[in-house]
This record gives sequence, C-alpha cells and structure tokens, in this order.
Amino acid sequence: MPELSYREAVRDALSRAMRDDEDVFIMGEDIAEMGGSMGVTQGLVDEFGPERVRNTPISEMALAGAAIGAAMQGMRPVAEIMYEDFLTLATEQIVNQAAKHRYMSGGQLKVPVTFRTQGGAGWSPGAQHAQQLESWFVHIPGLKVVFPSTPTDVRGLLWSSIYDDNPVVFFEHRTLYGIKEDVPDELEPIPIGQARTHRQGEDVTVIATGRLVHEALAAADEAEKEGVSVEVVDPRTLLPLDEDALISSVKKTNRCVVAHEAVVRGGFGAEVAAVIQYGAFDWLDAPIERVGAKFTPLPFAPVMEEFVVPHASDVLEAIRRTVGRNDGN
Amino acid sequence: MAKVEQKGTLSKSDLREFFREMLLIRRFEEKVEERFRAGELPGFLHVAIGQEAVAVGVCRALEESDIIASTHRAHGHTLAKGTTPNELMAELYGKLEGCSHGYGGSMHLYDIERGNMGANAVVGGGLPAITGAALAFKLRAEPRVAVAFFGDGATNIGTFHESLNMAQLWKVPAVFVCENNHWAESTPAWQHMPIEDVSQRAVAFGMKAVKVDGQDVEAVYKATRRALEHARSGKGPVFLAVNTYRLVGHYIGDPQVYRSKEELEETRKTQDPIEHLRTKLELSGDDVEEIDREVQEIVDASVEFAKNGTDPKPEDALKNVYA
Amino acid sequence: MATEVKLPRLGQGMESGTIVKWLKSEGDKVEKGEALYELDTDKVTQEVEAEASGVLLKIAISSGEVEVGKTIAVIGEQGEEVDAEPEEPAGNGSAAREVADDAQEEGSPAPAREQDRERGRRASAGDMGEQVSEVRQPSADNGGRIKASPLARRIARERGIDLGAVAGTGPDGRVVAEDVERTAASGAPTPATSAGVGASALPLEGVEVQQFSSMRKTIARRLTEAWQAPVFQLSVTVDMGRALELRKRLVELQGDGAVKPTISDLLTKVSAAALMRHRAVNALYKGDAVELYPTANIGIAVAVPNGLVVPVIQGCERKSIAEIAAARALIVERARGGKLQQSDLDGGTFTISNLGMYGIERFIAVLNPPQAAILAVGSTEDRVVAVDGQPAVRPRMEITLTCDHRAVDGATGAEFLRDLKAFLEEPGLAL
Repeated sequence: MPELSYREAVRDALSRAMRDDEDVFIMGEDIAEMGGSMGVTQGLVDEFGPERVRNTPISEMALAGAAIGAAMQGMRPVAEIMYEDFLTLATEQIVNQAAKHRYMSGGQLKVPVTFRTQGGAGWSPGAQHAQQLESWFVHIPGLKVVFPSTPTDVRGLLWSSIYDDNPVVFFEHRTLYGIKEDVPDELEPIPIGQARTHRQGEDVTVIATGRLVHEALAAADEAEKEGVSVEVVDPRTLLPLDEDALISSVKKTNRCVVAHEAVVRGGFGAEVAAVIQYGAFDWLDAPIERVGAKFTPLPFAPVMEEFVVPHASDVLEAIRRTVGRNDGN
Repeated sequence: MAKVEQKGTLSKSDLREFFREMLLIRRFEEKVEERFRAGELPGFLHVAIGQEAVAVGVCRALEESDIIASTHRAHGHTLAKGTTPNELMAELYGKLEGCSHGYGGSMHLYDIERGNMGANAVVGGGLPAITGAALAFKLRAEPRVAVAFFGDGATNIGTFHESLNMAQLWKVPAVFVCENNHWAESTPAWQHMPIEDVSQRAVAFGMKAVKVDGQDVEAVYKATRRALEHARSGKGPVFLAVNTYRLVGHYIGDPQVYRSKEELEETRKTQDPIEHLRTKLELSGDDVEEIDREVQEIVDASVEFAKNGTDPKPEDALKNVYA
Repeated sequence: MATEVKLPRLGQGMESGTIVKWLKSEGDKVEKGEALYELDTDKVTQEVEAEASGVLLKIAISSGEVEVGKTIAVIGEQGEEVDAEPEEPAGNGSAAREVADDAQEEGSPAPAREQDRERGRRASAGDMGEQVSEVRQPSADNGGRIKASPLARRIARERGIDLGAVAGTGPDGRVVAEDVERTAASGAPTPATSAGVGASALPLEGVEVQQFSSMRKTIARRLTEAWQAPVFQLSVTVDMGRALELRKRLVELQGDGAVKPTISDLLTKVSAAALMRHRAVNALYKGDAVELYPTANIGIAVAVPNGLVVPVIQGCERKSIAEIAAARALIVERARGGKLQQSDLDGGTFTISNLGMYGIERFIAVLNPPQAAILAVGSTEDRVVAVDGQPAVRPRMEITLTCDHRAVDGATGAEFLRDLKAFLEEPGLAL
C-alpha cells in the first residue's frame, strides 16, 4: 500500500479522472505551472496540457460560472477556488445558478460540476484567508457538500464528487495537506453521504470534521487515561448527512460533542446538534456540546490566533463536561 | 416553424416568415399582459414588446446545435428559439405541460432539447455559463456557438466583465448580444453607464464589437450570421451592440413614472420593428390582417391549452432537486 | 360587439384602485391605446388606456374605489344596447391590501390562483410523515431502555422515584414530568437504592412532599391573582375602651343559649355601617368598571385544616349584632366541619381577617379579588398612650386596610378607615 499525503491524494484522484475521461478538466488560478497555491496540482499541466489544466484570470464568478456552463454541456469540470474565503465571490454562481438549474428547468438537465477549495487557520493567514464556511452551503438545496479529513477519504470522495451528477462543494483543509497515510493501491471510491467511525467508544460520541477530527482523536486518547471511552465519528459528507450513523452512535453512548474549526454560532454543529436532539432525545444524558472557533474574525498575531481557534484541549473539556467532570474539580 | 432555407441571404418569403414570427411574439406578449391583468398569472413578468426583431433576427441565424441563454425578458427569445406558444403559455400558468414543467416560470424558461439553456433572473447570471459552454465546445472541437442575450444594464455587473474577459482570452466560440434598450429597469442609460457607446465595453477586452440596428430584423440577422461565422471559425467571440427600444414598462403594470410620456409616444410611433418590416415588405392591410388573424388564433389557443393543462401536485415540489 | 372595460391588475399585489376621473364621456369615440381614465393605485396616479376602439357606451362606475376585475365601463358600436347594471363601487374605502410575505414590487399574487396556494398550504400541513425531507421521525425501537424525557428523569431523581414504576403517557409511551408527578402524588414506590433511576440519583430522606389539594391550588391561584393588583395599605390604631364595654354589656343582656357576640362581630357590624357610608369601598373591581354594592356582604376569614376559607355573612348592615354573631357561629362551624356550600362563599363585597387571637399585633392582609378592600385586625393590647396630656393605659387595637388602588383612591380609603375607627371608639356614631 503506497503512502500518500492528503495533497498527493487529491492530485491522484484528479489525475486518474483526467486519464480515464476526456470530459474531466480542471481550472483555477495559478494551477498550471505553479501547481496551485497549495501545490496540489503540481505536475498536472505536464501530463495533461494547458487546455485541460487551465489557468484562469482572477475572476471567481466567471471561473465558477464557466465550470457550470461546461458542466451543463455534459463535461465534468473541477474548478478550484484558491481560498475558501473567495467562495464568497463565486457564491452567486454556485447558489443561484449551479444549485438551481436542474430544479428550475423541471429536471431537464444536470450540473455535474465540482468546486474544490481549501481553508482554515494556522500559520497566521489573517482573517480573509482563513475561514471555514461549509455551513453556508449546507443550507442550499441542490448542492452537495463534502469535507474529508484524511488522505484515503479525500481521494475516494473527490473521485465520487467528480462523478456525482450534482454540483459538489468540496472542502479541503490547509493544515491537512501534509498528513500521510497508507492508502489502497487502487483508488476506492467512497460513497457520498457516508460517515466514518475512526474510533469506537462507550461514553461519548464526538462528531468532528476537518482538522478537528484529528484534534478529537488526540482528545480521545487523553480522555481514555481519565477512564472515559470516546467514540469519534467523521460525517465526511455534510450534505447529505449520514444521520443514521450519527444517531446510532449517540444512542450507544448517550452523550455527544460536535467539533469543527468553524465559528460555533450558526456553524454546521448547530445542524448536527438539532438532528441528534430530535433523533436521540430519549437517549441523551447530557446536553450536546459544541466546539468551534470563538466568535471573532481570525486575528493575525499567533498568540491570538491560537486563542480563537479550537484545539484538542477544547474537545477534551467538552468531553469532560458531558460525563459530568470539570477540569480541576 | 419553417427554417430559413439559405442561410446567408434572405428572400422575401424569409422576411415574411420573420414578420409572422415577430407578430406572433407581439400578440403573445400582449395576451400575457392581458391575462396578467386578469389575475391569472402569478409572479414577475417582463414582456419584450419592441424587441422582437432582435429575438427573431438572432435566433433565426443560428444553426440547429447552437445554444442560447437569456435574461428575465425571455419570452421573445424562447419563442424564437423554437419553444411552442403552448409550452410557453403553460409554463406561465405554472402547468406541468410548461417548458420548465411549472418549476421555473417566466424568468426560468428552459428548453434544453431546443438549445435554450435557460432564462436567468439574476442580471448577468447566465453569462459565465455561456463562456463555459463555448469553452466546452472548443475543448470537444464541436462546431457550435453559445449565444448570450443581456441588456445594457448587465454591462455594469461583474459577471459581464469577467465572462467577456475570459471568453476573449480563451477565444471561445461565443456571441454576446447586448440588447441596448437604453433602460436598466427605471434607470436610463446615461445614469448607469459613463459611456454612450456600449460597444466600447467589448473593445476593453480586445473583443470584436459590431453595432446593429435592433429594430431592423434583416440587419440583425446579417450581423448575427457574420458574428457566428467569426466565432465558429475559431477567431474568438463577438460582441453585438444591438440598439433597440422597449415600447412598454420594465414589468407588466409598470406605470413608467420615470419615463417621459412624449418620449414613450414618439418611440412607439417611430421605433416599432414590426412596422418597419411591414413597410419594407410593402405588406397590404389585408396581408397583415390575415397573418394577424392566424397568429392571434395560435395565441388564443395557447391560453386554452394552458388553462386546460395539468396542475402539479403539491408534493411535486420535492422532485428534481438532485440528479 | 360590446367590450366590458374591467379594472386591470397593474401588478404590485394590487387588489383595488380608485377611479379619479374619466377622461372620456359617455358617447365619445375611443381609440385603443387612448387614455380613458385616471386611476389611483396608492403608489401612483396614472392614466389607463382603452383596450378596445369604439364608442364609450356606458360608464358604470364614475369614481371611487373599485376591486380589480370589476366592470367599470362598456365600449362598443354606436347604438348598441348595453344592459349592464351600474355596479356599486366598493364604497367604504378600506381595501384590504394584501400584505404578501414577499412583497415584491413587480410580482403578482394572482388572486385567481389563490385556490392553488390554498391547496399547496393544506398539502404541506398534512404531509409531515410522508415527505422526503431531512427531518427524521424518531425511531420507535427503544431496545429495552426506559423512555423518559430529561425533565422527567430529573424529577424522578429529585424525588427518589423509580422510573420503571411510572407509566408513561407521552408520545411513544415516553415518561414525561407529569407522569412522575402523578406517581409521586399517589404514593409511589421509592427505590431503596438509587438503582434504575439513572447514574446520579440522590437518595432523599425525611422530605415530606405535600401535593396540593384542589383547595390549596385554588388558594395559590387566587393569591397569585391578588398579587397582580396594585395595592396600598392604611393603618390606624383604635382605642377599644368603649367597644369592650359595649361587648360586655351585650353579653350580659343576652343571657344563656344565644351565641355570645365577640369583638369580631362588633367589628363586622361597625364595618358594615362604615361601608354603607363609603360605598366606593364596598365594591368589586371588574377590569374596566367598579361595581358598588348596596349591601355589605362581609366575608370572615376562617382558618381550617390545611387552608383558609372566607364564608360570607350577607347584608350585615341590616343585621343586629346578635344576628351577626349567630350567622358567624354557624358558618364557622360549617367551615371547620368542611360543610360549607358554594352559597356560603359567594357574594362577598368586603373581607375581615383577624389574627388577633394569635397575638399578632398588626399585619397586612392580601386582597381577596375581585373585592376592592380587605381589613386586617390585630390583637387588642394595653398600651401607654397620651390622654389629655397625661400618660394612661388604654386597650389599643391596630387595624390595617388594604385597597386595590384601581378601584379605591387613597382619600376614599382614608375616609372609610377614619369613620370605622370613629365607630369603634364611639359605637353610637354608627347608628
């Protein structure tokens, strides 16, 4: 089994799709010779040429919209939005156009486009290059939203997103690009809408996404030492959400912590908490905890950035609260 | 609808055909206004009265496999591209037999089989997709052209600049048809554009721009043919700055308090494209009456068709969200 | 063929418009497209064009507010018969302008399609179970676990009740708070250990829970009501010398066999006299009115096991002290025996509450709504007071009047209390 980094896993999925299928092409800012701002598309232009690995001007609306237009003609473009924060510029096309063409036409067409982007804090990127906006898109009927946290997951899910006939907003996390994992020799597509349990446990379920999956696993190890058995589940796809898996897990443990790097208020955790509350009401022995960033734009100075953003310690504290223990008590 | 036989030159019978089509659009739009005032049509409605020559002139110049995307003022383009009056009227009535099966309404008219990629309610919203469609044609080496309709107001929005910039950069086979009717809703052109000649916008991108008299259907047709040729041959996109006139309000019921009555009356008298063509063809009163009766019947029949159409079930709202 | 001219919908959610003036008269020739009349649509006044050519045969509505779709005129050929009855305009000018949720300028709710909207609404309301939606219905399988709401669990925990012994009446047989309450009230089994109730049940020993009887519930409710009233209190201290003498005399005169009148009975009689002179205090507050009563029906607060009742002596101003004493004795006996009838409790206009027998010197009584006032009576004690400039020992009693300020003003209450004190200090004044 080869070892791939998260970054290499993305590249692998793109390359395989483009090799197999003339209709797949990628476009974005600086993705050709430079290989993308995060180095994800390194080397692809050499193999596939500049027509299929297409640099665009700084025009998020046209970039997203052209991808939509090509998808409406039957191609499977993958548009890269360099930073998640710039999704805001492309949002009109993603939300008003891609998400709605099929519906407004009464089912006459499909829009099989994938929008790839990356975000997250770490190394002081500043407030406009660090956001986690996945919850916005979960709110839009017609879109799918995917947010993988490991190399195996990102490879299998990117493939599935490219071949899904619906517009998919695909989130990567910048601090995960370097993590490595053994992956299967052959790319195994992972179904969209399927959660993954990273760790089995008895006392509390931590539902985590993106970087916080890894923080949650670290917190779980610590909690183990305190005699608390933690189950960690990554939904992987945020829309459609694998509600059954999440609810069954909480029914087993009776306690739930939701953790994401995005700001807590109005974050994806709120949706999960509502789903759990409704589906596992009689199984809950503690209020559902939410872990996320504090309600501020991301500050620049490292000491402040670390304060705002959630860590394993925050997850651990939330775990302790659910089992009725407080730090220091 | 009979196709124009020899693309390139227009015979008198071709022009008669255009006259008929333009009059059909005119009567259709008038009927839509009437039914709206009678309280039967929900939603927003924007009719294209005065701009029929642009719709017919452009759409009749297209090849079978070319595609269009339109704006909120889409009825004329939709009919000219081949959607039947029955399907269009049924859509306005929200019936399953409508071209968008009741899901879209006046501003979201799609007819994919006939190459209509959809009307768009967001100003400039459909432009990037036209650039993208043209890109797809180029990547697949298909001899097809993607044509966008939009107004002078849309030349101010971000998607316009980004889409044309990108289209020219990549020399994709697209034609951008700007229907400059000198009004963006209630705002006159001089109040929203710092330039008078809208074709200058294209020059900024290095794109070929052509000025066209939009009330002369023959001129529109010929200009479109040349533009399609340019795009199809790989020379790049073309911007058609079509000068036209909106003979009615922005939406049905718009009292146009922002427009001078004299200007409106003068425009209605001198800028009616149907009148122009009628004069050019020297059609007699009887000729016109006969054609008028024919198209009026079709329009009346479309209302009957629509009214007798099938209402969607309430739960049908849950379908078609995902493929 | 005559064409009816109907008031058009000009968008903007328009339901009606006001015809300001006709620009053509009956009999005039009209061209299609020509301005026919002026219409005020509440956004703007505009000219409306004729939709047909011909002769304006009839103007059915010359001015005023008209609903959209109504016929306002007829255009036809010269000499055509028009049999349209002129319709009355909508008249009183209060057009219900539809406030659409999405009040867009250009759109139309198209009232002709209202039935469609109704259908959609009804289908949506009835459709919770079937729709393909993201709202899950909780699964019915509970795998042997007791279904109890978090609140029910807490109450069970606090009361030391075994949840397993509680019958659940919530959805899916869930145990809800009320179920636990009910079990507790009927003497539920409490677990010897905390097993089965939840991980952190606290054993509670020695706590006696007294469920409210319906009397107590009523008392609680009425007191809460009384608490809403804005009240003020007035106090006076009464020299009880003459009153005590009078009582002694009455008891002597009465002889055996009859009920001995008490100070309370004297107080009741004297209060009735004062109430008749100050009818504003003998009143019931009824929200937007005050009812002044012609007769003083005085309620006497009586303590009974587990509560308080206020039986009423009717028409005290007409009764002698002896009659009042007899009535008082009767209702107190009935009250203590739990045999009061509703008629014993109804009709009170004023209440006297006496805690003097417990040695309470003064207190403030809570109003007995809807009565406008209540008198609190303390004990009679010997006090040193100034009499003609010299210290003397006198029997003194403090009484406090609580008034509902919505019904009784300060001066009114004060005048009443002043007279009451005067009557107690010189009973002859009450005659």
